[in-house]
Amino acid sequence: MSETTATESRIEAAGVLVVLQASLSLIAGLSAIPFGIVEPGFRVLSVLTILVAVMMFWLARNLRRGRRWAWRWLVLVEVLSLTITVLLALLPIGTIRGPVPVLVNLVMPLAVLVLLATASRHAVPDRR
Amino acid sequence: MYDIATDHAPALSAAILLLAFSLVFVRLLRFLAGREALVPGHEGITGLLFIIDGLGFIALALGVSTTTWWRRPAALWLSATIVAYLVWVMAGWEAPDQVGIACKLIELVALGLVMRLKNPARTAWPRRLWRATAFPLLVSLTTIGIWIGGLAHPDALHAHAGAVLQPVASVATPEERVAAARLLADTKASLARYQDPAAAVAAGYKPGPVSDADPLLHFQNQANIGAVLDPDRPQALVYARTPVGLKLVGAMYQMPRVGQWGPDPGGPLTQWHQHEGICFSPLGFEFSFETPFWTCPVGSGSITTPPMLHVWIIDNGKSGPFAAELDKAARHQLTGRS
Repeated sequence: MSETTATESRIEAAGVLVVLQASLSLIAGLSAIPFGIVEPGFRVLSVLTILVAVMMFWLARNLRRGRRWAWRWLVLVEVLSLTITVLLALLPIGTIRGPVPVLVNLVMPLAVLVLLATASRHAVPDRR
Repeated sequence: MYDIATDHAPALSAAILLLAFSLVFVRLLRFLAGREALVPGHEGITGLLFIIDGLGFIALALGVSTTTWWRRPAALWLSATIVAYLVWVMAGWEAPDQVGIACKLIELVALGLVMRLKNPARTAWPRRLWRATAFPLLVSLTTIGIWIGGLAHPDALHAHAGAVLQPVASVATPEERVAAARLLADTKASLARYQDPAAAVAAGYKPGPVSDADPLLHFQNQANIGAVLDPDRPQALVYARTPVGLKLVGAMYQMPRVGQWGPDPGGPLTQWHQHEGICFSPLGFEFSFETPFWTCPVGSGSITTPPMLHVWIIDNGKSGPFAAELDKAARHQLTGRS
């Protein structure tokens, strides 16, 4: 497999994982809307979550198109997500319990980061 | 809400291993064939379908190395596996536990990769639109399907969405009935001094944040955190927010750590419960439910509470004095809200 093909495959795989994350965020945002009827804070959080999901769909699309800024923003978002998860996991509030939260909140962001890193920043064509 | 079924536990480590290899599709397909390890926990037609499913994945994994036509069958096979799980869950033939949900997550990743592998040639816009939306749509439908299945057919240990009950025997012995009555009487006697919220505050109890969604208000005492089912030192007092002020309705005993069930002197009558699958937002002390894939809205986090036991000192209707929640009729009578 040539280096270009391997890089493209990694970008494609990272894009799939980001779209999956965005879809899960979208459902989380939509499902919080009914709670917003009686809980004003969740009105804001649900809209914010839907916006984040839309942003991630957009970043995934632009990553596949070889935009370097999308690569940078995704690294930032995934590092932020991973950091928050690790910090919450350190608290005695049962944030990470079982395989599903481990896969979704730890393994998936880590996998995206590894894929983005190994795709080589310089190999991502810059089509601004 | 979504635990790990006992008969799924042996397959858990295999499922975790699966994701590590999910990024390389060929390897993933081969490992998916390992799902046959789940068969011993399933009987009849479900077990047979698991075997057929596993054989199909083995055949497709072999096809990846030897043929060029494997993509479409692989996409169909993965879609069929996901849809079959949703049918089983929504029909109530299988409870959606974490092992099943983790498998669906891995299958969704594999399906997404297969869908992207097909080289996007210059195609008409309907096909491009379908290509962009099909995968997110399938992820959303899978999430909603699992959610509906879990809510429509909760297992016996779910009091309601977000509360898991302590496993106990089905029938209380005469000794357990006496012990439960004693706990209720002792709690009532101890709480008599806290009818006035000011007395509770003077004793070290602090009111929790007021939420528009909850007509009950908990006063907690951090000094009692280490006490275990001590009627003289309950961890929290529960007041109802009535139109004429706060009315003491019960006590809440709580264990120090998540997953540490407390003593249940009354057996099934004094069944502890813990809240899980909850998204908690510190902004305004608000709650919503997690999705089956354990995701919460931005700005809120997943929490699981240590086990708790409520003792209601007022008439709690059919639910009884140790129910996880205040009876709807009693709640409505007190607060005017259901």
